[in-house]
Amino acid sequence: MFKQKRSAEDFAEELQAHIQLEVDELRLEGMSEEEARRQARRKFGSVRREQEHFYMQGRWGWLDKCLRDLKHAFRSLLASPAFTITAVVTLALGVGANTAVFSVMHTVLLRTLPVKDADRLVYLWTTPPPHGTGTVNKNETFSYPVYDALRNQNGGMEAVMAYVPLSGSKVGVRIGAQPEEAEGDMVSGDFFSGLGVSLQRGRGFTAGDEKDHAPLAVISNDYWTRRFSRDPDVLGTTLYVNGVGLTIVGVAERGFEGLEAGRSTDFWIPLQSRPELNAWGNPLDEGKTYMANPTWWCLRLIGRLRPGVTKAQAVAQLQPVFQAAAYTGLGTPSPGDKKPVLNLVDAKGFPSYGEEYGRPLRLLMGLVGLVLLIALTNVAMLLMARNATRQREFSMKLALGAGRGDFLRQLLTESLLLVTAGGLLAWLFAIYATRALGAWAQIESSLAPDGAVLRFTAAVLAVAVVLFGAVPLRTALAGGPSLAIKTSAVVSGADTGKTRMGRVFVVLQMTVCVVLLVAAGLLIRTLRDLENTPLGFSTDGLVVFGVKPQIHSPEQGREFYCNLTAKLQQLPGVESVGVMMWRIGSWSSNNNEMLVDGKLPDVPSGGSRTVRTNVVGPGFFRTLEVPMLAGREFADSDTVSSRHVGIINEEFARRFLPGQNPLGHVIDTERRNFPITIVGVVKNHKYRSIDEEPIPMAWYEYAQIPVIGRMDVEMRVHGEPLAILPAARKVVQQMDPDLPLIQPMTQRAQYDLTISSQVLFARLAGFFGLLAVVLVAAGLYGALAYRVSRRTAEIGIRMAMGARRGQVVWMILKDSLVLTAIGVAAGVPSAMLVGRALASSLYGVTPLDGTSYALAVAGVVCVALAASALPASRAAAVEPLTALRTE
Amino acid sequence: MSTRASNDDRISLLQGTLDLLILKSLVFGPCHGQGIARTIQRQSEDVFLVEHGSLYVALQRLEEKKWIRAKWGLSENNRKARFYSLTHQGREQLAEKAAQWRRLTRAVGLIVDAGPAAQAEEA
Repeated sequence: MFKQKRSAEDFAEELQAHIQLEVDELRLEGMSEEEARRQARRKFGSVRREQEHFYMQGRWGWLDKCLRDLKHAFRSLLASPAFTITAVVTLALGVGANTAVFSVMHTVLLRTLPVKDADRLVYLWTTPPPHGTGTVNKNETFSYPVYDALRNQNGGMEAVMAYVPLSGSKVGVRIGAQPEEAEGDMVSGDFFSGLGVSLQRGRGFTAGDEKDHAPLAVISNDYWTRRFSRDPDVLGTTLYVNGVGLTIVGVAERGFEGLEAGRSTDFWIPLQSRPELNAWGNPLDEGKTYMANPTWWCLRLIGRLRPGVTKAQAVAQLQPVFQAAAYTGLGTPSPGDKKPVLNLVDAKGFPSYGEEYGRPLRLLMGLVGLVLLIALTNVAMLLMARNATRQREFSMKLALGAGRGDFLRQLLTESLLLVTAGGLLAWLFAIYATRALGAWAQIESSLAPDGAVLRFTAAVLAVAVVLFGAVPLRTALAGGPSLAIKTSAVVSGADTGKTRMGRVFVVLQMTVCVVLLVAAGLLIRTLRDLENTPLGFSTDGLVVFGVKPQIHSPEQGREFYCNLTAKLQQLPGVESVGVMMWRIGSWSSNNNEMLVDGKLPDVPSGGSRTVRTNVVGPGFFRTLEVPMLAGREFADSDTVSSRHVGIINEEFARRFLPGQNPLGHVIDTERRNFPITIVGVVKNHKYRSIDEEPIPMAWYEYAQIPVIGRMDVEMRVHGEPLAILPAARKVVQQMDPDLPLIQPMTQRAQYDLTISSQVLFARLAGFFGLLAVVLVAAGLYGALAYRVSRRTAEIGIRMAMGARRGQVVWMILKDSLVLTAIGVAAGVPSAMLVGRALASSLYGVTPLDGTSYALAVAGVVCVALAASALPASRAAAVEPLTALRTE
Repeated sequence: MSTRASNDDRISLLQGTLDLLILKSLVFGPCHGQGIARTIQRQSEDVFLVEHGSLYVALQRLEEKKWIRAKWGLSENNRKARFYSLTHQGREQLAEKAAQWRRLTRAVGLIVDAGPAAQAEEA
């Protein structure tokens, strides 16, 4: 037998033995058997008490107590299922929404890279580079000469590393016979050593690998698992990327997913210098790769600060080197030019996401924080109401000798049970919500709720436990044991101050509810405006797809597209066909400053000279049905040998050629010497996205421009647009059997993608607003119904004294209306503050949009009326005598 | 009653002293609970009357600390009883606690026995 588990029987036996021995001894002293037995018993005292003592003292006594508390709590919660379900679901929604939003916010804004000394890593950013350069991102990318200059600078930086994707999306890869796709980056030789990423297998790259452009590759742990099933012999395998063979020499450590924001990189190769592996998968620009082209700013840079060096010190050292290198290949800067300025950004979260998602995320966090606040006060209010009705039970227990400790334990156990159930449900909810949010923020890198998120949730829940446990304790003890013998409900309810606390809660909830409803209203109106924004043309019947033929000369390209357009045009049901270089509605654009008649046009100070350009074929505007305001559209007669022509939009004419006839003027970009003569002006229409403002645009004719690679085909058809795709695919494959249609979809779907993040944000905010209203309604109904029920006796007396039904109902309603009025008065100014914070996320509505406010206030009043009318009419229906006999 | 001193003469045990008394009473060999109670009562010349409740709580506690161990056996008059005996650890504890006790009583004695009150008693 284990010592700790000594049985109660064994102990009882020992006590009996003790008494028997005592009897023996007393008899030896001369007592009679009977007298001795009695004496021994008396001397020993209560045997039963000793046994209880023993039971409680054992190791399991404590656990037993807890189990008993738990059983008790279970039973008492099961006894009021409506309360339990409401509380658990409320908690789950409040906590779950918070966990989900926090998970995503943590990834996007706070998470450091999983490498050693991550706090010394900084991204290198710049203000816009000099005129005459092309960029991928005008703040985050650099030219090769700039990288070369910065890394050779032995100052405050231990290392400066470059990385650049092999494609804007995925790149073609072959391992066996089948072609597939993967995400790959070209990186500098010290990429892994400089970042402090270790290799779980094989080796990383060296400076030599970069210099020799060695055909090597390191794969990510994820890719190794997904594609190679963690094959230990993966090292030495050849990976063909765009047909170039690369040998796998290492596997990066688990958890490292590369530096592409929101993406998960599959493999890395040293910086290359060959046309097949140009940066971003771009075709060569005038025969030059990114390395040979000092005016193409395409590399991203990350650096490691030396220990003890601040960002400011490092920037100070790098700035002159950077500014000198920035003009490589551009000649000396002209005196008026603004030199680009380097700055360093902590490598935390995805800094480039900050603008697009950081603000909405913080706002969402604020919104769900309010939802959590409502949820918590709701549950506290529910508990208070529930425990007030249990006051009899508590008083009885106190009278029967229960201690304060026992109460605290019992109440804490109940809270614990509620919160545990709520927490589990919240976790489930959070997993789904996190996934939805991840899809919104377009994050493909792993988004599992991690340790920090777990701690955050646990902290919220711990606060909830203490709060919910402690709030009712006050109520429970306030009654005191004497209450058990009091008989009237009037007495029992009258003498506590907690009704005031209940009122404060109700007002607080109303306030928060107004704020959430206004925010939701503004965003939903934004959403509606976005969806109804006119594009400037009709998307009915428009379908778009891309093709990327193998083209070796401009002539060949021209012939291919000419042929393709003609063949597609002949398909039955096709109304019109046009081609374009940058697909409209896909965010992509080519931005330049343009010379008008040989010089940069004058613009009012602060005005932008940026012009978006695109390259399109004949019939493009006819296909879109964008009206020509002046001149003509491109025609088949515009060829390489004829005059180079261009088309501009209204905005271009308004800004750069005010008050003149734009036709006949010659425009040109600074960089490319390819002047075109304006032959047409089209009406403004949306180019990149739905929410863009009108911007000057210029179109080139595709047959006249020497660069022809991938093009996108726009077709207007009768009937269902997507139904034409099989026929179109057949046409394309007759011309080249290996050509797939790239991203075929309706033009409307393409445009909708550009507002998908706003749409999701508005939907989420709307969802949280609705959630808040439901929670507030439930809480309000519970609180008011409870308040009315406590006044049943009072109502009975009033009615017995002659009060009419209407008076009683009004008395109850007035009470709620006063609370509502205070809540709304506090809520509207708070909502204005929130509206101002939302301003940048709004489109088409002002932060002070009257309708949203009116609807929010009306909503809250409706909820308050509905929640109090029912209990009020119920109270008034009470028979006075019944009410008085309630006890 | 022959075995019981009057209430006034009894002194309640100092906290923790019971452990010492139990350990000490087991020095001369294994003993059962009733025997321990009797020994303490007898040796203290009926000053200490061990409350059975605290005795069994203390025994339980000492057993859990592994200072004593217990075994069922037969008493002199052939009654079944649970016999407690000192463990090695218990002996060490006894020596330590006894030394502590001596220091304590000496210190208390130094204070109580000095001064006018003590002289008056002597006189």
